[in-house]
Amino acid sequence: MLSYVLRRIGVSILIIVAASFLMYTLVALARDPLEDLYASNSPNKDALIAQRIEWLNLDQPIPVRWFNWLLGVIRCAIPFGGCDLGVTIQNQEVTTLLARAMASTMQLVTGAAILAIFLGVLVGIISALRQYSAVDYTFTFSSFLFYSLPSFVMGVLLKVFVALGFNDWLASPVFTWPFIIVASILSGVFWMVILGGKAPRRLMVFAASVLVTGAMLYGMSVTAWFLDPSLGPILAPLLIAAFGASMVLIIAGPRARYAWRTAGATVIVLVAAYFILQPFLPNFELWGVILLFVVAGVIGGVAGWFLGEYDKGQAIRIGVLTGLLGMGVIIFDQYLQNWNEYITNPKIRGRPIPTIGSETPNLVGDFWIQSTDTFTHLLLPTISLMLISFAGYTRYARGGMLETLNQDYIRTARAKGLPERTVVVRHAFRNSLIPITTVIATDVGSLIGGAIITERIFAFSGMGALFNNGLQAADPNPVMAYFVVIAVFAITFNFLADLAYSAIDPRVRVK
Amino acid sequence: MSDKTWRMRALAAIAGVGATAVVLAGCTTTPEVEPTQEVVDAAVTIAETNEFTSTNSNSATGNLDINGIVAYLTQSGFAYVSDSYEVVPDESFGTMELVSEDPLQVKYTLNEGLQWSDGDPIDTDDLVLGWAVTSGIFDDATLDPATGEVTTGTQYFAYAGSTIGLNTSTITEVADDKLSLTVEYDTPFVDWNLNELIDQPIHVVAEKAGVEVDALVDTILTSPRGDAAAPAPVNETLKAAADFWNTGFDMTALPDDPSLYLSSGPFVIESWEPTQSMTLVANENYKGDLKPSFNEMVIRFIGDSQAQVTALQNGEVDIVSPQASGDTLTSLQGIDGVTVNQGDELSYDHLDLTFAGPFADQNVREAFLKTIPRQQLVDTLIKPVNPDAEVLNSQLFIPAQAGYADSVANNGSDAYAEVDIEGAKELLAGATPTIRLMYNINNPNRVAAFEAIQASASEAGFIIEDVGREDWGSQLGTDIYDAVVFGWISSGVGNGTIPQIFASTGGSNFNRYANETVDANGEEIQVTTDPDVVTELTQEVDAELFADGYGLPLFQLPGINAHNERVDGTTYMGNQTGVVWNFWEWTVTG
Repeated sequence: MLSYVLRRIGVSILIIVAASFLMYTLVALARDPLEDLYASNSPNKDALIAQRIEWLNLDQPIPVRWFNWLLGVIRCAIPFGGCDLGVTIQNQEVTTLLARAMASTMQLVTGAAILAIFLGVLVGIISALRQYSAVDYTFTFSSFLFYSLPSFVMGVLLKVFVALGFNDWLASPVFTWPFIIVASILSGVFWMVILGGKAPRRLMVFAASVLVTGAMLYGMSVTAWFLDPSLGPILAPLLIAAFGASMVLIIAGPRARYAWRTAGATVIVLVAAYFILQPFLPNFELWGVILLFVVAGVIGGVAGWFLGEYDKGQAIRIGVLTGLLGMGVIIFDQYLQNWNEYITNPKIRGRPIPTIGSETPNLVGDFWIQSTDTFTHLLLPTISLMLISFAGYTRYARGGMLETLNQDYIRTARAKGLPERTVVVRHAFRNSLIPITTVIATDVGSLIGGAIITERIFAFSGMGALFNNGLQAADPNPVMAYFVVIAVFAITFNFLADLAYSAIDPRVRVK
Repeated sequence: MSDKTWRMRALAAIAGVGATAVVLAGCTTTPEVEPTQEVVDAAVTIAETNEFTSTNSNSATGNLDINGIVAYLTQSGFAYVSDSYEVVPDESFGTMELVSEDPLQVKYTLNEGLQWSDGDPIDTDDLVLGWAVTSGIFDDATLDPATGEVTTGTQYFAYAGSTIGLNTSTITEVADDKLSLTVEYDTPFVDWNLNELIDQPIHVVAEKAGVEVDALVDTILTSPRGDAAAPAPVNETLKAAADFWNTGFDMTALPDDPSLYLSSGPFVIESWEPTQSMTLVANENYKGDLKPSFNEMVIRFIGDSQAQVTALQNGEVDIVSPQASGDTLTSLQGIDGVTVNQGDELSYDHLDLTFAGPFADQNVREAFLKTIPRQQLVDTLIKPVNPDAEVLNSQLFIPAQAGYADSVANNGSDAYAEVDIEGAKELLAGATPTIRLMYNINNPNRVAAFEAIQASASEAGFIIEDVGREDWGSQLGTDIYDAVVFGWISSGVGNGTIPQIFASTGGSNFNRYANETVDANGEEIQVTTDPDVVTELTQEVDAELFADGYGLPLFQLPGINAHNERVDGTTYMGNQTGVVWNFWEWTVTG
């Protein structure tokens, strides 16, 4: 195992060095940095050309320039070695720009990646369980539709319909009757096909969804809920309880008493916390909020430990998830309560969904306002990136699930008389995740490469912008910095994927 | 990267236009004083394409348009350039006076009480530093043209602008009150009024370089001129100052030390969120007249033109200057409450002929030029973006300049107003010369120009060979082509243009063009201070160029900016300063 790891690392380093030479040469040859000056009619043209030749060492042969660059990069591998990735044409330290670009890209892609993986796997599994049903076809159709939309089209559509559309609508947030009716029917159909079952049950689900959605939309409309939203003292506890119940139903099943007790206890504590915390929450900062989540998780875990009877592990899982989701409801409600202050802020001027950048310049406000600002800025690019990568995951998850469901041991489990929920969640789900793990690992590796087009459309200056601007200016250092980071991440995560595979799947061994 | 500094280019745009020098030299009328208006507590947000990198836009590394724009907002000067390319003196800062024409003496007088934003006075010490920087007078380096490296001597300030003119000047007199000084040129210099001298604060440069202000001023005033033939030992004081000046103002985030972003202008940098936005607020120490009617300016960095348009529509920015294209224009016009300003940029495309091979013959040149469908090019390439666009009819003036109309009337460009295939055939007398036409294959406008010219010239019997290429820039001046279509920035740089482009020895004369009148006039313009004479001499050259069949100017590129209902008072501005050029005239509703 150790020799395998060392061998892989050694080979990886050689690959990076060789690839960097190739890349450096290509970048150096891609554009002539003096191009604009050759055709200049400036009286000091010769002096400018000389300045630039000296600045970029253009008089040296490309391999020499590459070698000098490599000497600086090698020092990055040594702790405190004085990392030197060179400077740009504008005398900007590339290390500074790179750190900033990586942070910005991470901010942009992390949420999108997590959501895409979560929703992709979820939707893929639902598709597999309802194979060849209307819901399967709908999901397949829409995931391919999003997949095939170019990111610049997606970006523009989102800006026009979500940002401009929502902001304009917010001026007088009233749902028209046709909208309410159509939305209610769509919601009814959606839940009907997802939940499935026999005809009477379907009809009941449909009717209930239509009524609930219609009432909700109407209520939101007449109370101008979108201007000053909150869940309120009735909806918030209900939502917390609903999360608890669904955790029990999904993980343990309706007949597990210990699970009901665990979830019930956690829900009671959280509902109490909801009322107790109300006056204090506005003063909380980021760390306070994180602490609240930790405490909520611990409370759920403790409840599971004491009430878990014969299956403490399962009960603790239910307790922790209920605690975290319940606290999520409380925090979400707090954000809703701050929404009005956010949209009436003079810098926002009643148009909360922005189309560019990562923050509103000079926005003054507490933690809730500032983080709302970050959320609104991340909203569109996150949706855009998520919808595009989501399709791949649904396919993998669906395929993996279908394959697992056809295995002999699933038939055995069913033959033993296990409830369908147990068969799916315990036996099939976990094994179906093995192939998708590899895909996710390599995808995460390439995430840092950024999304050049999405970044540009939403004016998020991350890795893509670093690469693009460098290339436009025939400036090798930022392009190479981008390349090194991408290469290191890609190689590392491929490696990790191999190791993870061998760890998850006992049939695979590395040597 | 730009070829010259923003200020030089902005000022150069008007060069050759007579009015300029008169305004500065003789005329003492102050510009109309605006009625004092209430300053609204409001922020104007403008969109810019590139990220800010330096508070020294005159240095080789800081020479970017965006840095120039920030400099325009934060630095005062003796004059600014209006959207009609006239130099307007700002007498609330000081005056530049022509004291004597021969020898040319210019007296710079600063108003009393001017201050940098840290409270330090703006005085002649600052002008002395500016003179040292923009004259490059102490450089005695010999550069190896192939490597750009200094072989002997020392190069001090890496100034991105042209040092011509000032590089043979002397500061002859500095007033004791440090409010005025006189610069004397060895030979008269036409563009003396473009040398404003004011640059970075000397007290900051001196402090960062570890020298005393007085010592630095003394060194600059007393050191002999550099002579590349006989390099002097390195002047340590000057070298220290220059080393700091060259790169010390480059930044990747707002430095902790506010002296690196001092302001002498109406705004001062307040904060900068790299990759996102920069906020400028009113400078309390600013005493001049160019005060804005609002107290905050936010620059947001948005690279994508379409993203700028949606941001304007969504109210995130108030003013945008996107890259002009038909799509951008259509989407801007589709937004309620948005006003679009359109006009011509300073860059223009032109067709040049090499005076060798088939074009050694005057008749062939004229015949070829007669086939160039210039109106068609303007109609198909430019009019979709700027409906008012016209064919450019002068090699030396642009329509926004006063000398253009006169020059066009007399320069013989009317001979090429229409495509004249018959005339071309007559001149060719049955010959079918092969013309190798070079252009940039990555520029759609140039490709379209090539195709149109090819189609039209073929009718007259020319055989047009396609030698378009990606690295056309480095091929300029070689003999792989007979004609070339490319662009020049800053049209009408008149006074620098003739010696640089059209003189037989010009550094950008790629066409082996030689004309004694042009050479002589070019030289004479350089030492002429009477703007009327300069215009006359320039117009003569313009006519010579058309008579010789030098080539044809084609069109100016279209430009665009737009603003929403919150802001009013912007105009179109074609130079690198762009829409912010008259920020003090904007009105804002809170």
